[in-house]
Amino acid sequence: MAWRVGVDIGGTFTDVALINDATGEIGVVKVPTTPRNFADGVLAALDVAMQRYHLAARDVGLLSHATTVVTNAILQEKGARAALVATRGFRDVLELRRSARADLYDLFQDAPATLIPRRRRYEITERIGADGKVVTPLVEDEIDDLIAALKVERVEAVAVSLLFSFLNPEHEQRLGARLRAALPDVPVYVSSEVLPEIREFERTSTTAVCAYVGPILASYLEALEGATRRKDLPRLYVMGSGGGVLEAAETIAMPAMAVESGPAAGVVAAAIVALQSGRLDVISFDMGGTTAKASLIRNGQYETTPEYEVGGGASGTRWMHGTGHPIRVPVIDLAEVSAGGGSIAWVDPAGALRVGPQSAGADPGPACYARGGSEPTVTDCNLVLGYLDKGSLLAGDLQIDHAAAEAAVAERLAGPMGVDVRTAAAAVIDVVNHAMAETLKIVSVRRGHDARQFVLAAFGGAGPLHAAALARELGIAEVLCPPIPGAFSALGLVGSDLRRDYVRTVYTTTASADPAALEAVFAALEHQGGAMLDRACIAPEQRRFERSFDARYERQSYELAVPVPPRVFDKVALGEIAEAFHVRHRATYGHDNRAEPVQLVSARVTAIGKMPPLAIRRKPAPTGSDALKGHRRVWFRDTGEASARVYQRARMAAGVVCAGPAVIESLESTILVPSAWQAAMDDNGFVLLTRS
Amino acid sequence: MQDGLLKADPALFEILKNSFYKIAEEMRVVLAKTAYSPILKSAGDYSCGVFDGKGCMVAQGPDLPIHLGSMPDAVAAVVAAFGRDVHEGDVFIHNDPYFGGSHLPDVNVVRPAFHAGRLLGYACLRAHWPDVGSATPGSYGAVTEIYGEGLRLPPLRLVSRGTLNVELEKVILANVRTPDERKGDLGAQLAATLRAAERLAELARRYGSDTILGAMAEVMDYSERLMRASLASLPDGEGSFEDFCDGDGIPDDAHGRDAQFWIRMRVTKTGDRVSVNFAGSDRAVKGPINAPLSVTASGVFCALKTAVDPNSLIPPNSGCWRPIEVTAEKGSVVNAEFPSPVVYANHEISHRVADMAMGALASIWPQQVMACSQGTSAVFTLGGVDPRSGRRYVSYETIKGGYGARPNKDGINVVASGISNTMNTPVEVLELAFPVRVECYAINPDSGGAGQYRGGCGAHRVWRLLDGADAVGSLCMERMTSAPFGLLGGKAGAAAVVTLTTPDGASRRLPSKGAFMVPAGSVIDMVTPGSGGFGAPTRRDLAAIARDLIDRYISERSAREDYGVADPAALCAATKQDSP
Repeated sequence: MAWRVGVDIGGTFTDVALINDATGEIGVVKVPTTPRNFADGVLAALDVAMQRYHLAARDVGLLSHATTVVTNAILQEKGARAALVATRGFRDVLELRRSARADLYDLFQDAPATLIPRRRRYEITERIGADGKVVTPLVEDEIDDLIAALKVERVEAVAVSLLFSFLNPEHEQRLGARLRAALPDVPVYVSSEVLPEIREFERTSTTAVCAYVGPILASYLEALEGATRRKDLPRLYVMGSGGGVLEAAETIAMPAMAVESGPAAGVVAAAIVALQSGRLDVISFDMGGTTAKASLIRNGQYETTPEYEVGGGASGTRWMHGTGHPIRVPVIDLAEVSAGGGSIAWVDPAGALRVGPQSAGADPGPACYARGGSEPTVTDCNLVLGYLDKGSLLAGDLQIDHAAAEAAVAERLAGPMGVDVRTAAAAVIDVVNHAMAETLKIVSVRRGHDARQFVLAAFGGAGPLHAAALARELGIAEVLCPPIPGAFSALGLVGSDLRRDYVRTVYTTTASADPAALEAVFAALEHQGGAMLDRACIAPEQRRFERSFDARYERQSYELAVPVPPRVFDKVALGEIAEAFHVRHRATYGHDNRAEPVQLVSARVTAIGKMPPLAIRRKPAPTGSDALKGHRRVWFRDTGEASARVYQRARMAAGVVCAGPAVIESLESTILVPSAWQAAMDDNGFVLLTRS
Repeated sequence: MQDGLLKADPALFEILKNSFYKIAEEMRVVLAKTAYSPILKSAGDYSCGVFDGKGCMVAQGPDLPIHLGSMPDAVAAVVAAFGRDVHEGDVFIHNDPYFGGSHLPDVNVVRPAFHAGRLLGYACLRAHWPDVGSATPGSYGAVTEIYGEGLRLPPLRLVSRGTLNVELEKVILANVRTPDERKGDLGAQLAATLRAAERLAELARRYGSDTILGAMAEVMDYSERLMRASLASLPDGEGSFEDFCDGDGIPDDAHGRDAQFWIRMRVTKTGDRVSVNFAGSDRAVKGPINAPLSVTASGVFCALKTAVDPNSLIPPNSGCWRPIEVTAEKGSVVNAEFPSPVVYANHEISHRVADMAMGALASIWPQQVMACSQGTSAVFTLGGVDPRSGRRYVSYETIKGGYGARPNKDGINVVASGISNTMNTPVEVLELAFPVRVECYAINPDSGGAGQYRGGCGAHRVWRLLDGADAVGSLCMERMTSAPFGLLGGKAGAAAVVTLTTPDGASRRLPSKGAFMVPAGSVIDMVTPGSGGFGAPTRRDLAAIARDLIDRYISERSAREDYGVADPAALCAATKQDSP
């Protein structure tokens, strides 16, 4: 029982990361993703990994998994035939949304997609008032007709979302029970179970997302879990978007929790690095072919956000209501930008240089792939500047056409801009770096954190290539490049705790609240969490419960999370919570208002099952290995052409220091060490870049 | 400085351009997350912008098109009033439409940004306060002079070198109905503009003040160049359009009813320029639907931006409007003079001229226009004392209708269109804040104008006042008698209807504008306008008609009468059989 195994499905590859608990040895396997049936790719990857590392099923102590099934079903509009049942007069809530359009001046914008078409939106006579009392009793007689209609429409899942059910769930519960009894094969998602929170559109949307993807997620996970069980592998865990793993059955009960599964795993891995390296304040930076993502880790902890939209058009400002489907579950607080190696650079009609949002993707890919792409991408520019090389892209497996990259940059950029090819390529790198720096700022300085106090953890295929420039832009002094950058996210899967949030709306103020009543709410939530941990067989000493409130000034609409101090819960504790809220409000928005009551909107308990701590380690090459492979010409905007030393990462011994300009190549990723920087290999296989 | 930075350092140009827009966006985040009144925190009725030292808009946040044309005047008014007497730590406030404002509820907070003692420019946050005094809660009464519309603030120094003018603040708070809430909103406006001023100073610290000032000018030049290039690539020509408005809220015609009035517009495009002339429009009216020229221009700019740059690639700022000339006779309803009242015009006239511009352009650029959208902000206010708390309240809602059909696409059901982009207030938030119960909020079938591409449907929303909650209501709507027009053979969308049913069972249709008493237990039933269709209904794809029927966006009657479908039921049945 020595190995932990994590499987991460990406757009191109399915990655498996293995860690030997006893020795810290890391293994990586990559197999092509199988979009038609993701489980095939997962099982194939597991087979390859177990063979390559000589594992028997009994050697696997932990198996967890990040899935794109939920996101894909929504993006490709391939979810279930779902129905919605709403309070009479309100069946259109999903389409009415918040009524703002996504783009002010786009004449041809589409209406936002609705997961449940109007023909399958039903109403039931009932009404709960704003005080939680029944205004109109639920008309039970209508339920039979409703059931009949759902059967005629052959619905595959039902979302039930009634007004004010977060204050009084009785009608929803009765209706849900009747539907479940009458339609035993149809999953029924009830909003007061999924998300007992105010704002009918966001709550209904979250419930609808669950109904839309639930059946697909269930059949996928049940198939996968069946197959892994037949291989005698241990219980399957699924990464939740909030950063913890969940049991498969929990995920099926609440599919909205599995939305940003993969990216969340990357941040968890970065948090592990933070704890392990003792550099507790980290900004994680994950750059791949099409997007770059950043997240903030403070004191070894990542943060989550309660507002997120899945699917729809790209929107940099996620708190705004755009074209996607809002879900109100904790999602790791990531900032994302459409900037990656495949992003296309272009000159607009007024002569300005732009990068993205179009991407050449994996097919045709950058011009240098010589697969029909003729437009210059960020990767092409990195090649033109010498940061990448023929041999460094996928370790030379890929045929690289250097001339094609030069030609694309010359024709499409340098010509129109009236500059030489390298100046044009360097300008593209500057623009894309700036876009990514903005993303890093969104998670750091924009929230009042001084980026200079943080270490940048860079991973993903392209992260280590751009990291030093970004660090300079933000005044960051150190960049940490962990081992296996290309499959780093999969490591987060095996180092993640079991975690789920339980929330109840309480609506009180710190001044007027009854501590005993709130204590009872917390106790009830902890009871729910405890039951989940029971089902997952987590030993009592491995259990943690974290309490917090979502708080705001009484007349505001958006909350900030405030932790509950770990002490007796009394009036004094409530005073401390109010004080902590004022401080947090000032830090976030620049002002506070101590005369205004602090409202506690929701009580939240995070139930955690601790997994044994994980150490990420890849043994460096033995001392004396010669890592220097040669030299090549590189070009920087401020210093011009230079000769860079080229190192092979796999042959770098612990303690080896490379002075910039240098390039460190490995199978999945290249590290660029600019002039005035240096790189050092440590005992655990991490490369640390510092300014000399 | 033409092309200076863009040519010398294209990367830095792009970086600074993006930074200016990010600053405007960040102002929005601070405002939305910290404001107190639902109209700001939930509905988003505000605009953020970054301005140069003269008051030209360098970057507009992704907020409300309505403020495009008039926000620069708001900053210019501060520049004109205070000249060089502007210092670090100062903040100015004003709302007077005759001093660069739009209407009194829109309160501008303007803060200069400095670096090393040098003025970089201004941040301006215009936010709609749900009440600024006057006789009617919500400040939306049908009055005949601006004096009746509420508290007027010419450009005033609210904060001097970091010190709040407490006496001025007291005057302001004494004249609005919910002063605690206003104080919270004002605090959010101050915080948001402070954030912007800090960000501009940071940029200057990093890149130098000269570079920042140069980049501000260039960003506007850049947008101007793109607009001109796009205009030059479109055919020259001339189009005109006329349309009538429902009325001004003053029932003063021979029959004691509200009289309609006319707006006439001619659009001429030559080379890379457009001129829009309102000759022949009616003189100013008695009621508060007279538009200052900058409000009229905002509507025109919004439509032209959409038509000239239909994929929305040109960054919106003052540079975009340099190729556009808007002229109207002084004292006409589209170029109001003091002391004409204005409160409705801000959105109703700018909506109207934006839709009309699309109508005028249809003859020259039929592929780049849309049919008429809902054409009104459909403002409904309620005010009184909440019997549940004993506290005074003012509720201000704008209800959305149809978004016009396009040359290649249907319209959109119930979404903000044209110059507006505010959000709805969630029913659960509304009912917790105010003594009402919403009994219906739904899509209104058959309200989208028939066409090859169907207009968007309007909404149906019903409110009931709770027991003990006598209130004063007011409406400000258009398109009750002037239905939203279709284009190129498309039919008009359905007009708006609002009825009030009092607890005694008496029911009456409300006029489009003005205040009315709402006894406790009354029901207000509103349907908002749909939008016009595009192209002849006979050319509509049968599958689209079937889909609309199955989803009940249209009725069988509409399928027969508007689209000529002989047997709608059979069409539905056949379609259902074919599709899974």
